[in-house]
Amino acid sequence: MIEVQNISKSFNGVEVLHNISAVFESGKTNLIIGQSGSGKTVLMKSIIALHRVDSGQILYDGRNVPDMRRKELKKLRREIGMLFQGSALFDSLTVGENVMYPLEMFSGKEKDEIIERAKFCLERVELTRAFDLYPSEISGGMQKRAAIARAIALNPKYLFCDEPNSGLDPKTSLVIDQLISEITREFNITTIVNTHDMNSVMEIGENIVFIYKGNKAWQGSKEQIYDADCQELNDFVFASDLFKKVKAVCK
Amino acid sequence: MKFIQLVGKYGYLIYKTFAKPDSWRMFFRQYIREMEKQGIGSLAITIIISIFIGSAITMQMVLNTDSPLLPKYVTGLTTRETILLEFSSTILCLILAGKVGSNIASEIGTMRITEQIDAMDIMGVNSANYLILPRITAFVTVVPFLVMFSMFFGILGGYLVASMTGIIAVDDYVYGIQYTFKPFYIVYSLVKSVIFAYIISSVSAFYGYYVKGGALEVGKASTDAVVKSSILVLLFNVILTDLLLM
Repeated sequence: MIEVQNISKSFNGVEVLHNISAVFESGKTNLIIGQSGSGKTVLMKSIIALHRVDSGQILYDGRNVPDMRRKELKKLRREIGMLFQGSALFDSLTVGENVMYPLEMFSGKEKDEIIERAKFCLERVELTRAFDLYPSEISGGMQKRAAIARAIALNPKYLFCDEPNSGLDPKTSLVIDQLISEITREFNITTIVNTHDMNSVMEIGENIVFIYKGNKAWQGSKEQIYDADCQELNDFVFASDLFKKVKAVCK
Repeated sequence: MKFIQLVGKYGYLIYKTFAKPDSWRMFFRQYIREMEKQGIGSLAITIIISIFIGSAITMQMVLNTDSPLLPKYVTGLTTRETILLEFSSTILCLILAGKVGSNIASEIGTMRITEQIDAMDIMGVNSANYLILPRITAFVTVVPFLVMFSMFFGILGGYLVASMTGIIAVDDYVYGIQYTFKPFYIVYSLVKSVIFAYIISSVSAFYGYYVKGGALEVGKASTDAVVKSSILVLLFNVILTDLLLM
């Protein structure tokens, strides 16, 4: 479980996050949603400690990130898997080598075991045939799946996904969403997904945190979203005709 | 003030770079890859440039030392000194700054803008150490060998001119390149090349590592890396000449 308590963050005197508190539960797909520029990426980067917060606490199962020394932070980061918006696969390595990379760095296992584990992770995302291909030789959706395989290689306790569906077609997006959701439950990971894709929200949003202008404006599940008493959230979610119609049908 | 900030940022990056690798196996793999890329990959250009510059220097020397007051071996002697003292270390390193330096800056810069470095940091990998240390150590290792190749092929270029054109007798040329030979000049040249190799690789890595933005900024970082490392090579050439030869 990850808990953020009253965190604030400013850049050059401009407050981007204001006094945010939220709980992200383990075994659940937690979503951070909000408009572009609302502060959700800053919130995610603050949670991963890529940004140092000005005040507040970020607790990973009781361990407070702002209090951590460099070594402790390094140790914590080995418990974190991350899926980047652009996949961030290393283009000089094959897909197999990408998945093996964290294992070779930190697992201390023999080569055969590492290959076996990498193949297992790729099998889990149905990408075994891409083992010897370079990232430039596979599609965007396959790159995302390869990045998920790399993220879960070290059996992370926490998984972060930054805009996992950006640049993907709706069908592939659905595959990625389902994969994230399945992996979260299967390995009991605390997953935090940063997105503004409403299809994702409705598909996998078990615990949703809505950020508006640097503040937490609402928190709840996808079932509660239709009855939410938050104008900013309604403006954001039901901006498209499709979701207005969905809302009408649901009511 | 900006300059002090820049030096501080560079110092911090070097501090992070020269840490114990997270995995020695991965470090040596990268080190071998980089040596192959930077060393074998630069061998052809080193040989070609050295032969042609050695030939041109010999021809220039023949033309400019054509005096009955000067002995014939002067051509060989001056060709040797020019190649050993300046061309094979300084000029070659300036050429390599363009080739290897821009490659290092653009490779690392592209990794930065495509979040590959962030991915390493989040995994708990010391990205500066993983990406920069093998590049610096590999380049520092291969450059002295490239310099020795350059010396050999530069002098060979002069020999080819002597034997193929006949503008100078081969015996005079060979006598000249052996005349009052000081082995320390080779040591001087190799010491300089090691320091230049460190400057080129670390400065280029610095500009690549701190890129912000997109492809345009990577291109700018690559140019900055070549320009700044070339200036530093020329500056340190003067300092090292003063320290080692004067």
